[in-house]
Amino acid sequence: MRDYFTFVLKRLLQLAAVVFAGISAAFFITHLSPISPVDMIVNRVAAQSGGDPLAIQDLRDALAALFGTDLPLHEKFLNFWGRFLVGDLGPSLLAFPTPAIDLVMRALPWTVGLLVTSILLSWTIGNILGGLGGYYQNNRFLKAFGVLAMGVQPIPYYIVAFLLVLLFGYFWPVMPISGGFSINVRPGFTFEFIASVIHHSILPAASLVIVGLGISFLGMRAMVSNIVTEDYVTYAELAGVRTERVVFFYVIRNAMVPQLTGLAMALGGIFSGTIITEQVFAYPGLGSLLVNAVNAGDTTLVLAVSSIAVIAVAGAIFVIDLIHPLLDPRVKVK
Amino acid sequence: MFAIIRDLTRYNIEFAIGCVLVGIITLFALASFFAPVGPTMIYVVPPDMPPSLSYWFGTNSRGQDLFWQLSYAFRNTLTFGVMVAAISRIISITVGLLAGYLGGWVDRVLMFFNDIFVSLPIFPILILVYFVLRSNLDMFTLALIMGCLGWPFDARLIRSVSLGLRHREFTRHATFSGMTPRKIMFEEHLPYVMPIVLATAIANMIWSIGMEVTLAVLGFTNLNIPTVGTTLYWANNHSAMIVGVWWWILIPVILIVTLFIGLFLLTVSLNEYIDPRSRLRRMGGA
Amino acid sequence: MRTWKTLMASAALAAMVGSAALAQNAAVDLPPITEFPREQTLIVHNPDNPAANPDFFNIWVAGAGQVQAGGLHQLMMDTLWYIDPNEGLDGSLYSSLAEDQWEYNDDFTEMTVRLREGLYWSDGVEFTADDVVYTVETLKSNPAFGAAAGLNRNVESVEAIDDYTVVFHLNEPNSRFHSTFTVRWNATWIMPRHIFEQSEDPTANAFNPPVGLGPYTLHSYDPNGAWYVWEKREDWERTSLAQYGEPGPQYIIYRSIPNVDNRLIEMVNGNLDMIHDLTPEAMFSLVDQDENARGWFPGFPYAHPDPTLPSIIFNNQNELFEDRRVRWALALMLDARQISMASYRGAATLSPIAIPPTGTHLADYHQPLQDWLIDYELDTGSSVINPYDPDIGLQVAEMVRPQFGDAVPTDETEIRQAFGYGWWAQNLEAAGELLEDAGFTRQGNDWYTPDGERFGFTLKTAETGVINRFGTMAAQQWSQAGVAVTAEVDPVIFGTTLNLGDFEAITSWTIESWGGDPDLSFFLDSWHSEFIVEPGERQPARNFQRFEHPELDRIIDELRVTEFGTQENLELGYDFVRLMVDEMPIIPMMSYNVFAAYSEQYWTGFPDAVERPYANPVTNWANSRYIFTQLEPAQ
Repeated sequence: MRDYFTFVLKRLLQLAAVVFAGISAAFFITHLSPISPVDMIVNRVAAQSGGDPLAIQDLRDALAALFGTDLPLHEKFLNFWGRFLVGDLGPSLLAFPTPAIDLVMRALPWTVGLLVTSILLSWTIGNILGGLGGYYQNNRFLKAFGVLAMGVQPIPYYIVAFLLVLLFGYFWPVMPISGGFSINVRPGFTFEFIASVIHHSILPAASLVIVGLGISFLGMRAMVSNIVTEDYVTYAELAGVRTERVVFFYVIRNAMVPQLTGLAMALGGIFSGTIITEQVFAYPGLGSLLVNAVNAGDTTLVLAVSSIAVIAVAGAIFVIDLIHPLLDPRVKVK
Repeated sequence: MFAIIRDLTRYNIEFAIGCVLVGIITLFALASFFAPVGPTMIYVVPPDMPPSLSYWFGTNSRGQDLFWQLSYAFRNTLTFGVMVAAISRIISITVGLLAGYLGGWVDRVLMFFNDIFVSLPIFPILILVYFVLRSNLDMFTLALIMGCLGWPFDARLIRSVSLGLRHREFTRHATFSGMTPRKIMFEEHLPYVMPIVLATAIANMIWSIGMEVTLAVLGFTNLNIPTVGTTLYWANNHSAMIVGVWWWILIPVILIVTLFIGLFLLTVSLNEYIDPRSRLRRMGGA
Repeated sequence: MRTWKTLMASAALAAMVGSAALAQNAAVDLPPITEFPREQTLIVHNPDNPAANPDFFNIWVAGAGQVQAGGLHQLMMDTLWYIDPNEGLDGSLYSSLAEDQWEYNDDFTEMTVRLREGLYWSDGVEFTADDVVYTVETLKSNPAFGAAAGLNRNVESVEAIDDYTVVFHLNEPNSRFHSTFTVRWNATWIMPRHIFEQSEDPTANAFNPPVGLGPYTLHSYDPNGAWYVWEKREDWERTSLAQYGEPGPQYIIYRSIPNVDNRLIEMVNGNLDMIHDLTPEAMFSLVDQDENARGWFPGFPYAHPDPTLPSIIFNNQNELFEDRRVRWALALMLDARQISMASYRGAATLSPIAIPPTGTHLADYHQPLQDWLIDYELDTGSSVINPYDPDIGLQVAEMVRPQFGDAVPTDETEIRQAFGYGWWAQNLEAAGELLEDAGFTRQGNDWYTPDGERFGFTLKTAETGVINRFGTMAAQQWSQAGVAVTAEVDPVIFGTTLNLGDFEAITSWTIESWGGDPDLSFFLDSWHSEFIVEPGERQPARNFQRFEHPELDRIIDELRVTEFGTQENLELGYDFVRLMVDEMPIIPMMSYNVFAAYSEQYWTGFPDAVERPYANPVTNWANSRYIFTQLEPAQ
């Protein structure tokens, strides 16, 4: 047990280092962007009203001072970490003076809700079917499913999503094709609101599940078809262990470990958002926020989203590493 | 070598189908070298013509013959996908096997970098890279960047398999019989890892091409280069789906599905070939 | 069956996670669930992305988010005057909060405004001169307000003579100062003094709920910023818009719909009454499949020409384009008909002169200058030609007639209004003579500069379909004529490439005009040579071609002391047009045609080009508020 604690402690230090390195990398890449938030705003103001060029220059100077965009890079870097450590990510420049973190927190529940559900669903179903498909290699239904998964998987996600919109929003208009909920309901813990959220999430969730299912199915099937040839499976079969037991406890369980790593990473990865889903279904979330921020040169907001993504993925890996020795007894803690 | 292929085609119908499918797409992509028009010319043929004898794949709303346009697109996309897969395979196999087998500080250092790479938000980075390079972002640069970002998942997967292998009997036997770590890694462990490498190579191609499409659909790649992604971008830019120019979308999708089914069948059959036990099982079962 | 269950289950789970998180945010008091009867509700498309900070309504802060065009400036804001980009309900110049037009003193250092009486803010407080004075003083003293810099440059002081009279004392003579408070798309809006007075830092006041002078108030909005619902004020009669009648819709909903195809679907499904813009292809498809859908023109080309001019902008500081003969040669190498077909599918309104062919400009400029254009002579060095072809618009109409049939107008005036009057005829021979005269040489079909280098450059172009195809086509035509031009997509034209002068030639819109008034100061004042920067430095809007000419400076100097709306003003406009034709510093191409659509399924009375061109149907213009007074339920 003491070994395990030292292990955890070491991993914790590593986690901190990874987060620091990851966020710093994101910081420098973000600041490479040639788009200046000041000029984007100045341009917006100038494009919409007759502009006196000297006044425009004054506005530029005023905003640059306000945003601190004229500081040298290393000063910005120190400022950034100084504020980051006390939990302040700074004001968004795209929606000045709203704090960037507020914008992220507003979008987050939608992204997390939609993605966690669809990832868990497609991962679970895909793995069970994939495990069976790898074991019962001659089952017709599973074979057909394999062919289908193989055919659907390479279709660009954008096309899958838009086809759903066309089918259920246009040719047979039964599903809403935009927004998180209807205009005539108010957010709250009411039946109407929840029903509306469910109704609006069906198409986006379906598109994600359709795409995700194939990936985990094919991955699992490949793993299992290797494991079934292992000696211990053959022994078990010969020894007359019940088939279900062989499938679930001898085969799938052992194939599970790498798949679990994949799941953790997929879950960690959701913080970058699903920009295409959000674009096609006009669904609220982090992805559109990120693209808007990049387009507007809003470095604070890009960094806020990226930082959360870095922390989430690093955290997911951390957790997986902690439970890995518990799941697979062959992996020894050092 | 020839004997292997002969065996494969004889006992394994999947291999034969895979070869044909991938072959068709490759030939189609190579046809672009003989294209009568450049890929950037517009309004050289009547726009919006459905597939017909004179225009096999129809023409798009920009007045381009889709046959040649897609031929260029597939040439670029295929090259791109293969480059990304190759670059990221080299990195992930090396890192995965080293970390898994050697363990200790090597493992910790490698996994430290691995964790940094895994936790980097790829999508924002690619968008930012695009904004820095814009029209200078050619296929090779994008492939290099994506190759350098696309290995850590698979390196971890390979490491976890190799971790398991390290504690297996045969590794101990090999160690006791005096095999060098390099030999053990690349001769004993690599075959076990190979199915994953091949499967992940295909998955990696799907990922990189999908990422290229995603970036392109949003307009975040060099739109001057014809690829599957930019083809879809321009189709979308001209509302092809809703207007009824379905061939502008459907044909590239059919082609890309064909390509991946072909690739997939190839990996499945190669996997079986590499792992003799499943080959025996199939031949016994057949 | 499995898939279906999967879907249901996934949706349920998604909903639970989502709503649980949301419920915490939703602790604020929200109005009860409300239905919006469809026949009393107008649903309008807002082209902006969902607002990043939907709770922030302080429209005066520079870059304050994206609520602005989601109904806020169309329905709640108000200011002194509006100039309609089209003909207007009663002339294109509206006095809104002002009782009548601006009055300047003789040397244009003072502007006096008389305000309308009996107007009330939406919270019941009366609007007075104090609000105007407060607005100017507050904006001046906080640099984070977008209008601060402009007002500080211009205004020395402002005072209220009485409750309904305001006098502005200006720093320098300026005959165009009123344009600060005159809406073209937007303008400087008047602030409610009694609201902002309460906050210490007026830039931090979220202005939620907003209090306005327009006939609608905020009813509710999406916490994700995708839609805003506005409700008609009970006391709508106490607003400046009331003189044009009662606004029809009880509710107006503005929705962001980023995906173009979804806009079409929503309109066909009856969930959208006005669309800001579509692609040309989607527009043709929409009118084809929805009998209630209309565009600005009743037939082809449907689109509304916005008062700005997509052009090829040369970087006049680049020595390649120093010589006017070179610029003219490049113009004569283009075939406008092919560009119109390639870019807009023929639905372009061509313009040979540097004035957008829209609104009242056609009658003010294009028509009167026809004879001058027809007679215009160009000396190529070896011959003298008449470069203008007055019938190019008619030719384009004939080119699209086979495809669109009856939708294409047959009346010559209507054709000229929709397709443009004429353009420069493609004349490769004359172009060659001009280039040779400028010292260029030809080898085979390829042109070489006087330095002996291959004549070629990169033409940057936007991503949007129409402008992109325009640029690609132009590059292609130049290449065929022996100039090696490549078109290149540039995603950051506005705000970056244009300002930095980081281009040789670029396709972009430029020359924003009032549309409903011949005065050109809106864009032209910034073209004065005093504002031009050195190469590599950042050029402030809008002289992005960095063109300077003594005659141009003379025109601008005179314009600054000429009264708005006078004949002298128009004459100066003609001088400008002639100078631009002589010098060709940019190649004007066509108006910026926006494929705005509206549906007559639930509402009628929308403006159109032929019967009632009283307003711009493009939904994000603040000027579009006049449309709502003309709407009536369809049944």
